[in-house]
Amino acid sequence: MMTTRVLEGLGRFYIGLLLTFLYLPIIIMALMSLNVSPFYQLPFEWTTEWYASLWQNDQLIAATWNSLEIAVITTIICVVLGSAASLALYRYDFRGKKFLQALLFPPIAIPWLITGTAMLIFFFGVGIGRGLFAILLGHVALALPYVIVVVSARLQTFAPELEEAARSLGANQWQVTARVTLPWIMPGVIAGGLFAFAVSFDQFVVSYFLATPGQTTLPVEIYAAIRKGFTPEINAVSTIIIVVSMALMLLTARFFKFGGEK
Amino acid sequence: MAAQGTSRSGLSSALPLLAPAYLWLTAAIFLPLSAMVFFSFMTDLPLSGKPWAFTLGNYAAFFSQSLYLTLLLASLRLGLEVTLWCVIIGYPAAYVLAKVLKGRSREAIFLLVILPFWSNGLVRIFSWAMVLREGGILDTALNAVLPFKINIDLMYSYPAVIIGLVHSYVPYMVLTCYLTLQAIDDSLIEAGRSLGASRLQVLKRVIIPLSMPGLVAGAALIFVPVVGSFMEPRILGGRTGTFYGTIIEDQFVAVFNWPLGAALSFILLAVVLVILAVASPVLKRAA
Amino acid sequence: MAGVQVSNVSRSFGAHKALDDVSIDFADGGFYALLGPSGSGKTTLLRQIAGFDFPDTGRIAIGGESVEHVPVEKRRIGMVFQNYALFPNMSIAHNIAFGLSVRGEAKATIATEVQRALDLVQLGKLGERRPHQLSGGQRQRVALARAIVTKPRVLLLDEPLGALDKALRVDMQIELKRIQREIGITTIFVTHDQEEALTMSDRIGILRDGRLVQEGPPEEIYDRPKSEFAATFLGDANIFRGDATGNGIRLPDGTAIAAGVGDRLAAGTKASCAVRPERIRIATDAGASSGNANTLKGQVSKRIFAGNNSTYFVERAGQTLKVIVQNTGIDRLAEGQDVMLSWSPESTVLIAAS
Repeated sequence: MMTTRVLEGLGRFYIGLLLTFLYLPIIIMALMSLNVSPFYQLPFEWTTEWYASLWQNDQLIAATWNSLEIAVITTIICVVLGSAASLALYRYDFRGKKFLQALLFPPIAIPWLITGTAMLIFFFGVGIGRGLFAILLGHVALALPYVIVVVSARLQTFAPELEEAARSLGANQWQVTARVTLPWIMPGVIAGGLFAFAVSFDQFVVSYFLATPGQTTLPVEIYAAIRKGFTPEINAVSTIIIVVSMALMLLTARFFKFGGEK
Repeated sequence: MAAQGTSRSGLSSALPLLAPAYLWLTAAIFLPLSAMVFFSFMTDLPLSGKPWAFTLGNYAAFFSQSLYLTLLLASLRLGLEVTLWCVIIGYPAAYVLAKVLKGRSREAIFLLVILPFWSNGLVRIFSWAMVLREGGILDTALNAVLPFKINIDLMYSYPAVIIGLVHSYVPYMVLTCYLTLQAIDDSLIEAGRSLGASRLQVLKRVIIPLSMPGLVAGAALIFVPVVGSFMEPRILGGRTGTFYGTIIEDQFVAVFNWPLGAALSFILLAVVLVILAVASPVLKRAA
Repeated sequence: MAGVQVSNVSRSFGAHKALDDVSIDFADGGFYALLGPSGSGKTTLLRQIAGFDFPDTGRIAIGGESVEHVPVEKRRIGMVFQNYALFPNMSIAHNIAFGLSVRGEAKATIATEVQRALDLVQLGKLGERRPHQLSGGQRQRVALARAIVTKPRVLLLDEPLGALDKALRVDMQIELKRIQREIGITTIFVTHDQEEALTMSDRIGILRDGRLVQEGPPEEIYDRPKSEFAATFLGDANIFRGDATGNGIRLPDGTAIAAGVGDRLAAGTKASCAVRPERIRIATDAGASSGNANTLKGQVSKRIFAGNNSTYFVERAGQTLKVIVQNTGIDRLAEGQDVMLSWSPESTVLIAAS
């Protein structure tokens, strides 16, 4: 008969193993980016020269700027369009609403390889072609469903009486939205925005098919570098990216409970 | 009082708010997917200036050359194996988080487990190269402990691809299973125990059936992207890492046979939709 | 201030008739209770007056002005919601200021008015707090202050005390009544609590299945109910069923019951008599009935002691009658005892069978 205490100890040990599995490679990569030997040889000797040399890499810096720009614009567009759509889905009942909600699922569930190649074909066919604009079009479409899902989840906790109370006090539709509804869903909107930023900033697959040599993003640039061969510089830039994207998600978690209510 | 809902009905009021988002999704997701189907029936791209015609040749290629079918089967097998490992590793972790650990540490640990999932996938795959290569950490560490010399070089092998993909997707399984497990009332478990069931019997007859939606959701959401993966096999599999996804990638970035790539993509999409359709009754119950 | 006229209003949700040809005249400055069980249509009626929902047929007028096509925000009403519906993102003062602010009043005016409203509900110093920092009773006061600060023409309350515990409820009843008197606003109050309706309102409207069953001052409805439903829903009543005789009814076993109150009914029609439990005298000897025209023999089957009074359940010809006796310290009856019940015709209401 196992006691609860033993079970809990085993549980903690197991979770510890899982966390080791999840974080060990990342930690090692970070350490190697600070190691002198370009061939990852031990013993470990501290250096920051790989980070310093990143600043000399114009191509990488240009790609980083592209990534940031696209992520920021994607976030803004997604937050505006996504919040509007969530509000409409919350407030109004109409034929086909279920269908529209179901349409949010395929962009999330279909592998990015398929979505990405389909975008490539279509954008080429209609004359948009490849490049940063095409990447932006794609990123917004990928991130939009996440924003709608997150904001809608927040709206589920909104009491409709609050809108009614505001109206009974003489507020019109705009005043109700701006002063009562939006402040309430703001945590959801912020979480959705951070999601959108992360989806765009970390996006590799779709960007990969839509990028051109001059117009590319950071993950695509890193992939190209990896395929040429491993260098400590890649470790350095990868470490930066993973720290940034994890920090972003920690921030998101402040506004959106991944584990549901409780 | 029966809440007689605010009957502010009407598509007309909703449309201005909905249209921008859904038009965007149409232009960048739904039309491209339709275009892909269309192009898959062409001999060549109409834009390239070369003559083109409708053809079934791209699909004929799939069925006549055993290579594509073999690779699709290899990708499906990869998907199954990765999903299985994610269940084996992820479900117990979700159970521990939801039902064994108590107190405030639980939420923090849960966040730590799912955090990597939302961070950059490419970089995480790359980080395994540091561990798995000859002279890498695993090799060095094992040789330091073991009295005899062994040579660990998992890099560019099938196991490396599996390890990388499981690492990428196991947080997803933990997330979906945790959500359903957490929703199971503890009193159900206590009721089962009070009726004389052992821990194992309660697990088998109460907990696992009730958490099935989470398991299926996790499995579907892992299996589908793994079947379509190409970057992970490329980085960790090297020459052994040729799968269905990498063949599609080749059509678009190396061979430039887009119509064939579109046909291969569409076949993959069909497989994916069948899988999602099979899983959807269980997923709907979960929602 | 203004009165509210509801004329022949009907509203259906699918096959369900939520309101069926309801007409009530709410006079200016009065305090009305709409009373009824769940699903009786009382909240639907309140929402029609508020403007959250519109009637299928019929008219609603506020202050003589037709409002069937006027949306909520233009009706100049004040409403207090069951769960208070305080805006969680605003301080108490900002909650109260909301109505004035959306109307575009000057900042200084708003500040004065808000303070006056806070003082009126005796929450003068809590303006900077947030709703979640307040107790249930305090939130209730804030909701009320928010509803009246805009000087609405009519105040609508949807089971406003439902979420409070008993003691606090009684305090708030008194408080609400005081404030209503002080500003003299027409007030319509939805409740399913009959005691609340009796103690607070000038007039009560009883609804059942979307229809107005009876309307009038509390005393009138209590003393002269026009239906068995009204008699039993508002207070307790013993109901006797039989045939009308001209001055009362005859029960199936031949016993005659004289009724001094209620409609005159043609002899021979089906009718009922309603008698309040506290109007019946209970005694062990036959002589005690002297002076009361109506007498019945029975046997005590159960006694429930409630401190200041006792309720006796008396079996008589297959019917259980309820009698409430004030606790005077004497004549406590045992279960199983044979008793004589007696009451006057003036305590007996004749009701046409429904």
